[in-house]
Amino acid sequence: MTDYEPKIIAFLCNWCSYVAADAAGVSRFQQAANVRVIRVFCSGMVDPSYVLKAFSSGADAVLVAGCHPGDCHYISGNMKALRRSFLLANLLKEMGVDEGRFRLEWIAASESPRYAEVINEMSESVRQLGPMH
Amino acid sequence: MKPKIAIVSASGCRACETTMLDIHYGVSALNRWAEIQFWPFVLGSSMADLERIDHLDVCFFSGAIATGSDRAMAEMLRKKCDRLVAVGACAAYGGMPGLKNLKKPATAEAADRGDLPEELALPEQENRVRALDGVDGIDRVDAVVPGCPAPVNLVWAAVSALVCGGEADARITYAAARLPEEMVRPILSGLGPPPGAVFAGEKAVCATCSRKKEEKRFKAVKRPYQAYESTGRCLLEQGLICQGIATREGCGGLCTGVGVPCRGCYGKPPATFDPGAKMVSAISSTFETEKPAEIQKIADDFVDMTGCFYRYTLPAQCMLMKG
Repeated sequence: MTDYEPKIIAFLCNWCSYVAADAAGVSRFQQAANVRVIRVFCSGMVDPSYVLKAFSSGADAVLVAGCHPGDCHYISGNMKALRRSFLLANLLKEMGVDEGRFRLEWIAASESPRYAEVINEMSESVRQLGPMH
Repeated sequence: MKPKIAIVSASGCRACETTMLDIHYGVSALNRWAEIQFWPFVLGSSMADLERIDHLDVCFFSGAIATGSDRAMAEMLRKKCDRLVAVGACAAYGGMPGLKNLKKPATAEAADRGDLPEELALPEQENRVRALDGVDGIDRVDAVVPGCPAPVNLVWAAVSALVCGGEADARITYAAARLPEEMVRPILSGLGPPPGAVFAGEKAVCATCSRKKEEKRFKAVKRPYQAYESTGRCLLEQGLICQGIATREGCGGLCTGVGVPCRGCYGKPPATFDPGAKMVSAISSTFETEKPAEIQKIADDFVDMTGCFYRYTLPAQCMLMKG
């Protein structure tokens, strides 16, 4: 188990979370290297099928991150992501995906320490859970 | 020479085979066009009969692969048949028997507890229920007729395309069968359906559903007995879990037309990645509230989403549980 490295797919919104991830790198915050970032224009465009596809293609966890409620570049895209997340989380739970493998987070452009924290926290908890299958 | 055909059912309810008998005047036409060599349901043929047959032209296979004998029969038919056709949701996508995959087999559970009876009167179970094309020994399925059961018009369309070479007297059925034009053209010209053809439409059921669609708003989940309007508004907008939006069209919205929510027996349309994901997206993006606690409350009212969204398709189209 010691050489197990979890794979995390992170869908980051172009306007907030991706900027935060970029800034976290530029600011040299320590972050786990388990993340594969996919830049999307809005967290609201992350269809549940993207999440299922990530899991079925071998991801151990999926993070969807967007702007804080009220701050969405497209006015309410992040609320769409929020609405979907509950039902999606329930469906994933039913299909045997542990809680904590799917997360929705609000990370503003200025919150690069928060980004590093979420990534570190998530890779550690997924490492504890072990591989998906 | 008349083409030789076989009609068989693996694990299922045999409604698809009954559909074969339900093609009205087509039944006598079928007998004129083909020589039925193997049909346990009607002719009482046995496995030994199948072993004696060297070659078959077309096999209409219904039912899921759930037992060892299902698999043996499917593999043998694949070797002997030129064209293997999956008829009905079970053969095409695993169907309702496929929901067994959600639980460990009862025998495995008993073995875990250590109280496995010495002699079991059960047929030998596969560890997973599969659709016809999910079986290792089967490299391809030449055509699919979806539906639970496969409807008469689509079955007849498949029979006349594959057995009668598109020349049966009831050509008009193509129009009634709602097949895409790209499929009808090669059939009518005698080339036969394209490989892997699905005898159904390409869009979602909503495309042919007769109900009035307005802006969707989902306030609380309802069961069919709690809301019934024989005609009128879209069922999903009324809070019923209607899966038309994640289901292949071809039925013409029969169920929704009489007020019964679509259950998804045609499987997903080609443009949909995963029916469950599509339903989650369709239902939850229409929740009226934006308060997390309220959304959580509505979401928690949904029970058995896996069994509901993948009712007919779990072994073949559920991205997380197939294979």
